[in-house]
Parts: sequence; structure tokens; C-alpha cells
Amino acid sequence: MKTSKKNSKKRLIAAAIFLLALHLAILLAGFVAPYQPATQNRDFPYVPPTRIHFVDARRHLHLRPFIYQAVARADSLYEYTEARDQEFPVRFFVSGSKYKIAGWLPSHTHLFGVDAPAQVFLAGTDNYGRDQFSRILYGGQISLAAGLLATAISLFLGLCVGCVSGFYAGWIDESAMRLAELFLVLPWLYVLLAVRAFLPLHISPSQTFLLLVAVIGTIGWARPARLVRGIVLSARSRKYVTASRGFGASDAYILRRHVLPHTYGTLLTQAALLVPQYVIAEVTLSFFGLGLSEPKPSWGNLLANFEQYNVLVSHWWMFAPALALVLVSLGYLTVANAFHQQLQSGSI
Amino acid sequence: MGTEAGATRALQPALMRARGLGKRYVQRTPFSQQSFAIEALVNVDFEIAPGCLTALVGESGSGKSTLASCLAMIGKPDSGEIWFEGNEISHWSKRKLAPLRPKIQLVFQDSAGALDPRFSAAQIIEEPLEIQRRESRQTLRARARELMEEVGLSPDWANRSPLQLSGGQRQRLAIARAIALKPSLLILDESLSGLDLSTQAQILNLLLDLKAARSLTVLLISHDLSLVGQVADFVAVMHQGRIVESASTRQVFGSAQHPQTCKLLASVRVLEAAFQTARAGGRG
Amino acid sequence: MMPSMTSAVKSPIRYLERRAIHAILLLLGASLLSFLFSSLAPGSFFDEMKLNPQISPETVAALRSQYGLDQPLPVRYVRWVKSVLRGEWGYSFAYNQPVRSLLMVRARNTLLLTTLALALAWLIAVPIGVWIASRRGRWDDQLASASTSLLLSVPELVLALGLLYLVIRTHALPVGGMVSTGFDRLGSWEQVRDLAAHLIVPVTTLVLASLPILIRHVRASMIEVLQAPFIQAARGHGISRSRLLFCYALPAAANPLISLFGLSVAGLLSGSLLVEVIAGWPGLGPLLLEACFSRDIYVVIGVVMASTMFMILGSLLADVMLVVADPRVRTDHA
Repeated sequence: MKTSKKNSKKRLIAAAIFLLALHLAILLAGFVAPYQPATQNRDFPYVPPTRIHFVDARRHLHLRPFIYQAVARADSLYEYTEARDQEFPVRFFVSGSKYKIAGWLPSHTHLFGVDAPAQVFLAGTDNYGRDQFSRILYGGQISLAAGLLATAISLFLGLCVGCVSGFYAGWIDESAMRLAELFLVLPWLYVLLAVRAFLPLHISPSQTFLLLVAVIGTIGWARPARLVRGIVLSARSRKYVTASRGFGASDAYILRRHVLPHTYGTLLTQAALLVPQYVIAEVTLSFFGLGLSEPKPSWGNLLANFEQYNVLVSHWWMFAPALALVLVSLGYLTVANAFHQQLQSGSI
Repeated sequence: MGTEAGATRALQPALMRARGLGKRYVQRTPFSQQSFAIEALVNVDFEIAPGCLTALVGESGSGKSTLASCLAMIGKPDSGEIWFEGNEISHWSKRKLAPLRPKIQLVFQDSAGALDPRFSAAQIIEEPLEIQRRESRQTLRARARELMEEVGLSPDWANRSPLQLSGGQRQRLAIARAIALKPSLLILDESLSGLDLSTQAQILNLLLDLKAARSLTVLLISHDLSLVGQVADFVAVMHQGRIVESASTRQVFGSAQHPQTCKLLASVRVLEAAFQTARAGGRG
Repeated sequence: MMPSMTSAVKSPIRYLERRAIHAILLLLGASLLSFLFSSLAPGSFFDEMKLNPQISPETVAALRSQYGLDQPLPVRYVRWVKSVLRGEWGYSFAYNQPVRSLLMVRARNTLLLTTLALALAWLIAVPIGVWIASRRGRWDDQLASASTSLLLSVPELVLALGLLYLVIRTHALPVGGMVSTGFDRLGSWEQVRDLAAHLIVPVTTLVLASLPILIRHVRASMIEVLQAPFIQAARGHGISRSRLLFCYALPAAANPLISLFGLSVAGLLSGSLLVEVIAGWPGLGPLLLEACFSRDIYVVIGVVMASTMFMILGSLLADVMLVVADPRVRTDHA
């Protein structure tokens, strides 16, 4: 139906824009986040999210949003009130702590902030007083990068194996598909844990990251390989491939010009499906303590705070990384759906 | 009916010759130990005279396509010899056959399947030229447009996808692509089936013109005897993997020997009127 | 026996035979793969001991050779296979017992959880899927589609944590473990209630996680079937809507749904690991995690094999159901 096609295209664009904005914000975490992920405020453990106000105690409306400074209650632990005596307006493009944009360009401008000594904790703090909002953004860099890189690895491996398998058929195809079946029959989370556990446990964060990416990506080659192989098999038996051979085309030419273009649509859809899966895989591993560990933030180890029940009950804002995870999943799945519909209708 | 000139040309050495060709397909029914063989070609002797239009006729399953694929060097026969330009090529390796490929071109029955829907019309024609590196980048498109004109397609359609063309236009495109490399032999495997009568007549006209203009040798495969009788110089009839009759068109139509030929003749449709009209009206 | 009878009886059995052999080969391959992965481990269970200055390196080496860890990979593999055939499934260093006894208890718990979740999920998904397929395009279909999309985007991890939060906040249910302390002293009816109370959180999580995909697939298969001519004919005969849906259309959609069943077993098993760990259900999941940290190799391999076996059994079960349900399968494979 024409309208559903248009709708799916609109949804695709909306979701794509949303995802792009999210990725940009996370890429520029240094700019968007008001504080550094490692900065501790030992005086302010488990502060609830700072409330943004527009109307002050004297019932005056301010155009610029402002906050009150949090003050610890003397009598109980982890309870805070707002100091209503002074308003701290939220300023934009403020100067703050130094960081590097995308890891190399030094800067100290932040998107928003407040004057000292107040601090704006949009998502509260953890037990070390670290701003969760900043940690979520920085953690997103790790989790998203892991998902994207692992997806690239899976798709690359799947494309190579699927192409060779489907194009040359015979015993190569047989053995490759049997191996794929084996990988597909193993319950992936169990295998992931096992493989990760078999590798060195106590290594540097960057090594851990690369290891995670390699393991997650390599285990997942089988499904893309199968899909690509199917496409290649059907494409290579087409008459126009026979005709090409009649002109003296080499295998490489045929693959490049006649076969591979048919895989693009499927690869895109697979990518949109795999990225959220792999992000969740990294988050799960880190949550269990097999991935990135403190102090480097990842959505997984941020959520790991929930292993303790008291955190779960009293400090609900620690759940915020879950929201980020859901948004990422939602965005990518919408895109995947839209791709799939476009593929079915033959537009890709 | 074929021409007398055609008969004279037959005295020259054959462009392509097949001797004692045999090919069988073995099929195994799934999950059982039984298998049965299909004899697609049985001791086939076949000659294609240069510069003539030879027709290969037979019912479906008679082995015409198998013979075509062997002659086009796509399939390998199990037994027998194939001679082309004085060389025996049935056992040649892929690498040895490579330089011969541009000389023998095949046009398929299903034009939609034979043309990559992702390519534009011009790209389809450019493909063989590109692969064989016959033209430079600048002249590629110009050459493609020339060929389009030659087969009766408007060069304005250069950027159209084959899906946007009609069946007849697609076959013209396929023919344009096939003649791009200036082959000596053009094989058309049931390329006219599925087209309406007037379109068939137009394509036949095109073939005749191309044959004359380029001294092309044409092998036309069809199940329709009346169709080929209009244009062929020689006719060979196939039945169950064997050539049962092979002579000039006049002989076949006038004094057919084999009962199979008679059977085919009996179901002739009247094409002549449409053919003459198309011919009188020029290329179209 | 008449030839037609033998072929009708023979073929499904032959088909299942082949599937069974296929399954065993898969298990073998999976075990090989697991062993290959385990060879990546640079350390072993006894690494902790190595750090302890009180235990001499000779003792560590002796322990290692006692457990056969110093042997090359093929030898270890053969020994492990022999151990499996003997019924031990290797040896757990941490628990100091054959892996099998550990596996049995935990596997039973996981099975309880997953079969319950599977049954519930399907029981809920099928009616919903069938209903919204019949109401395609209308408001309840759109609502259902939007909700399933949303639910699909919520990862299991988040679902589990969220449910846990709710439960703890409201103190509605006991949290953690399979049964409360003092279980043995309860009467049998109370025991069942206690077990059920502990099951609610993990089962609900698993059901919520599987529902979206199941509903979607049921809906898609039903929509396809509902467009078939024989449905239109039946409708013309004045058959009531619910009868039409469940007695005519649903059986026709059985084939793809049964294949989906095999896949849903797989999904549920993978998912149960996470849920078990978070909800504290003593199944295969927490066992694996523990063993991963302590490098209890044979437990890890044992758990991976056990879960693989469940997955293969699930798809075998689907194959059996397919043979029973779809007459075409029977005659195809003569």
C-alpha cells in the first residue's frame, strides 16, 4: 500500500535522525556532559537528580532555568534538600574542565553548566558523588562503539564466508554451512560468557574493550553468512551472470557488479538488527563483571550498581542508563523494520 | 523461404560443426539410491553454414537448449567433437576458450532474467565492451547508443531500466548486447517465444538486417516451424536428443522425410501475412 | 504389510531418525568447539593458588596433573568424552564433585523456569496474535503493534531489573532463590505457593521478553492464512468468527508456527541465563557465571553443553510436532 510505504519512509527518516542526534551527543560526550566521568564529590553521594526550576520561591518567573544547590541533611544519610537562598541559573556554552573532543581535539567548553559551588546533576550521582549524566554519556561511547565495531566484524566475516560459500558452492559451501549451523545452535549468551571467561580476566581497559569487540563480533558471523550465501546462490544462477561469463567476465567482476549489489539491502537490515543486540551483549558482559570494569564507565557497569538491593530501592535514578539502552534499541529496531519493509517492496 | 544465395554459401566450409555429440543428465531422486539418466543429446551431427540463418526446431525437451549451450561453450558435452574455425574445442580449458568467447554470443529466451535489473539499458550494452576492454571510457557510451539505434531502440532510453521496457524492446536490447563484440555466430535460444506475432516479425526483420549488414551467422532455435520457415536458409529438426532431419528450408518444407517434421509442419500457423506487412512497412 | 502402509509409517520415523543423528553430530561438534575455546584459557583454576605463597609450586603442579590439566588438548578431550559416557561429565574443582550432579539440579531448575515461561508465553501470544490478525489495520491491531514494538525495544536486562525494582518496592513477593528458608517445614500446598511466589518474577520477565516476537509471528502467519480462498469459502458458509479463526485458520498456520516454537525454545534458553542471575534463581545461569570467574573449566563446558542440548531438543521436539501436524512432511521423505 502506498500510504504504508510512505509511512515507513517517514518513520525511517525520523528514527534515523533521532539515532544520529543520539550518536552525535555521545560522540561529543565531552562537550555535552558538564563534568568528567571520574570526578568524585565525596560530600554528595547518591544525590537525586537536580530539579530544574523556572519559578522561584518568591513566585517570580525566570526565563532562564535555574537550580538550587543540594545540601545534605544532617540527620540522615543520602537525604538532601535544596538550599532555596540562592538561585544558580543554568548557563550554556560554559567554560569548564578540560577534555578532548572525540579524543583528540582539546577544548574546555561545555554545553551547559552552573556557577560554582553549585553542581547540576541531571541524573543524580552515585555513591562516589560522580555525575551520572556525564557517566552515561561517556559510558555510551564505550557501549555504542563496542556494538558498532562488533557489528562491522560480524558483517564482514559473514559477507566473506557467505560470498565464497554461495559463489563456489560444492564442498566449500557444505562445510561452511555446517559450521554455521554449529555456531547457530549454540546458545549465544552462554558461549559469549564462556569464551570471555576463558580469556584473560585481568587486563587493561583498552585490551578488554578490543577483546569484547572481537569475541562478540566473531561469534555472530553465522547468521549474516547464511543470509548472504542465499542471496549469492540465487544471484549467481541468473541468466545475466551466464551472459556475463559469455563475455569473458572474471569471477571478481561478476561478484562485484552483479552479485554483491544484491546483498546491500540485507546487510543494512542486519546491521540495524545487530547493533542493538551487540550493545546489549557488551552491557550484559560488563554488568556481570566480565567486561569493562570500574572506573571506566560503560552502561553495563553503571547498571551493575543494581546488584545491591538497597541501590535498587532507594536510588531509582541509577536506572537511567537503562533508558539510554531502550532508546538506542528503539531507534535501531525502527530503522531495521523500515529497511526490511523497503527491502520487501524492492526499493533497496 | 530461404534464399538460393544461402544454398550457394553452404558450399563453403562450415563455421561450426558438431560430430557425434552426446550429453546425459543424471538425476537422483532425493533420499533414495535410484537414479535415472536423461539422454539430452544422442550422437548429434550438426553444421552451421557461414553467413546463413540456420534454424533448429523441435518440441520442448528435444535437446535444443542443450545443444545450444554446448555450441555456446557454456556446457561441456560428454562425448563427441565440436569444430569452430578449424579448431576442435570440445575439450579446451576455460583459459583457452576465453579468446573465442566474443565470437559466439547467446541470446536467451527470458529477456527479463538475462538483463540485470540494476543496470540501465546503456550499461547493459556497455558491459561486454567494458569486460573485453574494446572501448575507452569516453567512447563507451557513444558506442552503446550506436548499437541501440542499430537494433531499433531509441537512444533516449539509454538510462531506462530493462524493467521499464516491453518484451520486444528487451530482446532488442539483448541482441544489441550480443552483437556489441562483433561475434561471428549469434545463437538465439527461443528468444522469440513469449512475444506477440507482430513483435516476433519485427525481431525477425531485425535479424535479417543484422545478418546482411554484419555478415552475421545466425542460429535460431525455436519450437515454431512456421516462424523460422520465413527466414531460415537451413532447418534442422530435433527429436528426443537426435537430429532427425537437416536440409535447406525448401527441402524441409517441400519434401519432409521424418514423421516428426511432418507433425511440426502440420501445426504451422500462418505468419506470412504479418511478416510481409512488417517487411513492407520498414523497421519498426 | 501393504506397501503403502509401510511407507507411511516408515518415512516419519526415518525422518526423525535422521534428525536425531543430526542432533548427536551437532552435540559432538558443539563439544569440540567448546573444548577448542577452553584451550584459549591462559590460566586455570589453580592460578589463585599460585599467588598464595604458602602453597608451593610443586603442589600446584601436582594438583594440575592430578586433574589432568597439563595434558595436551586432544587427550583432555578424549578423557572428557569418556567421563561423559561414564555419566560424570568431568569434575568441578570448586565444588569438588562430578559436574553431573551439579548440572542435574541446576538444569532441572532452569527447565522448570523455561518450560513454564514457554507455555505461558505461547498461551498468551496465540490468542492475541490470532485476534489482532483478524482485526488487521484497526485500532486494536495498531495498539498491539505499537506495544509489541516498544516491548521489543526493552532489553531483557532492563525488564528484569525493572520487575525486580517493582517487587522490592512493593514487598509483594519474596526475592532471590527458589524457595524461602524453612521450606521443608511447610505443608505441601504452602510449598507449592512458595515456589510459585519465587517463580513469578523470573517467569514474568521471560514471558514479557518473548511475547513481542511470538505475537508478531503469529499475526503474520495468520494474516497470510486468512487471505486463502478456503477461508473466504468458509466465511461464506456462515461459520462463526471464533470458530473460523481457531478451528480453520490456525491449524493451517501451524507449520511456520511450529518452526517458530523450536526457535522460541532457543531464545528462551539464552534469555534465562540473565534472568536467573538477576532474580537469583538457582539455575544453569548463575552456575555458569560462577564457574567463569573461578575458571572451573569442566563446569563451564558442562553448562554450555547442557544448554546446547536443550536447544537441540527443542528443535527436535518441533520436528516431531511438524511430522505429526503436517501430512506433507510425511510423504515427502520416502
